[in-house]
Amino acid sequence: MTLTATDHRRVEATTDRAGFGAALAFEVRKLRAQVRVRAVLAGALLAPVPIALIIHAQGNPPKDTLFGRFATTNGFALALLVLGFAGQWLLPLLTAVVAGDIFASEDHHGTWKTIMTRSVSRASLFGAKTTTALGFAILGLVVLAASTIVSSVLIGGHGTLTGLSGQLVPPATAWRLVSASWLSTLPPTVAFTALAILLSVWSRSVAVGVAAPAVIGMVMQLVGATGGAEALRPYLPTTAYEAWHGFLATPAFTGPFLIGLVACSVWTVLTLGLALAITVRRDITGG
Amino acid sequence: MRRIITILLTTVVVLAGLGLFARATSSGSSVTKPRLERSIAVSFSNVYSQQAALLGHKGISPKSLHAQAMCDKGPGVPQNGPGTSWVCLMSWDDPNVPMPTTGYGKFELSVHSNSCYTAGGPSSLIGYQTIAAADGRTVNNPVYEFDACFDPQSDNTPTRVTFPSAVRITSTTATPDDSGRLRVDLACAEGAGGCRGTLTGTADGSPLGVVDFSLTKQATDSLNLPGALPTKAKNVTYTVTTTAGVAPPPLVLPVQR
Repeated sequence: MTLTATDHRRVEATTDRAGFGAALAFEVRKLRAQVRVRAVLAGALLAPVPIALIIHAQGNPPKDTLFGRFATTNGFALALLVLGFAGQWLLPLLTAVVAGDIFASEDHHGTWKTIMTRSVSRASLFGAKTTTALGFAILGLVVLAASTIVSSVLIGGHGTLTGLSGQLVPPATAWRLVSASWLSTLPPTVAFTALAILLSVWSRSVAVGVAAPAVIGMVMQLVGATGGAEALRPYLPTTAYEAWHGFLATPAFTGPFLIGLVACSVWTVLTLGLALAITVRRDITGG
Repeated sequence: MRRIITILLTTVVVLAGLGLFARATSSGSSVTKPRLERSIAVSFSNVYSQQAALLGHKGISPKSLHAQAMCDKGPGVPQNGPGTSWVCLMSWDDPNVPMPTTGYGKFELSVHSNSCYTAGGPSSLIGYQTIAAADGRTVNNPVYEFDACFDPQSDNTPTRVTFPSAVRITSTTATPDDSGRLRVDLACAEGAGGCRGTLTGTADGSPLGVVDFSLTKQATDSLNLPGALPTKAKNVTYTVTTTAGVAPPPLVLPVQR
């Protein structure tokens, strides 16, 4: 194959200034090499199986949690019970494993100077790291959701589900509603990813970036459940983790999901904007 | 390290600020009496229809039940917000299960701030945890305890469903004091309008007098009957008549000295 003059110019242009694409490819490559990332994804894929087996084998169903009442006899209820727990701390932690580390690890290894002196703009680098973290969050959530739903239904059976208005939900509808419920946790997971990125950029500490989002998530839940601050509930990303309740009621309601979508978008834009500002203004010559 | 402490402090300050802002602009909880009343009537109708299908009762559908509820969080507290003190009085039409004289059954609710609740009903009307299905199997009773969630933005206009309080005599024996007089304990349960009326006592046919009472909902009182108890009386009969509230059937209590 012969290269034309235009092709030559294009090759030079990309090699001259490594842009967003090159930075993204590099970040993805770094991520794929990490044992921790592989372990989290393998956990998301395999852990739902023993969890479903253990809950299914309980003599007394865990009635104090939503859908716990039917979790031992119905696979759809089992998948929704796990979703209830996932939204409390598992999903914020899952995404923070990468998002809380992706900036701070450069501090940890002292590699900011190395990557910043490459001919890639800080904004491109930020975009690449953020896209990588978001991609991992979505991948982790989809893997966990698919694995939980499939293993729960295989273990617990696909009988008729009792919904959140006491109505009977036929299996064909239940498949759809349970999948939609799991997917409805995407906006808050994206918001927590952005929060983890901000904490990671700001604190320059891997420990804070990974652990703090889950802790803040817990605090938000506490705030949302406390009498005086209940008005704050709709605007917290943790509330969006419970928006799926509306899908399982009859008549179904999507108000909390839509408010959660807006609230999570605002959280994401604000935290990412702050993180970008800190990254761009940061003085790396000092260390 | 200083950076981490700064971040933690900032986070706490931001959260506290948001909390104060929420408190100042608070429009109250999304858990309200009208929303609970509408929600529990719907979810109860659905699970009750499930139970009817299991028991083989024909002609029961969520619509045919005409379920109506009146919820109350208890005396002296705002009638909104999550909590475990919510009580809902509910009436419904099922020819297989006649209602008590009050016309309703009492459900106890545990309501969470996320607009979900767990409701437990009266066993006398809805049965125990397991029931014998029409096909002979022992199955879980779907009404015994059920979970439901309601839309936090749903209709919040009052339902105007009211039920009268039930009067109950809580004394279990008739024990006269030194002067031979009886004291009767009375309770007024959940409901609208409290309890007012008279209590009449008779001992083996001879009158012990009449006392008036007036109680607010969810309150108790002790009434003193004016007449002295005849020394040989074995049993005492208390009869309640009400102008507000539902009176219990006449109660016969053994005399214990």
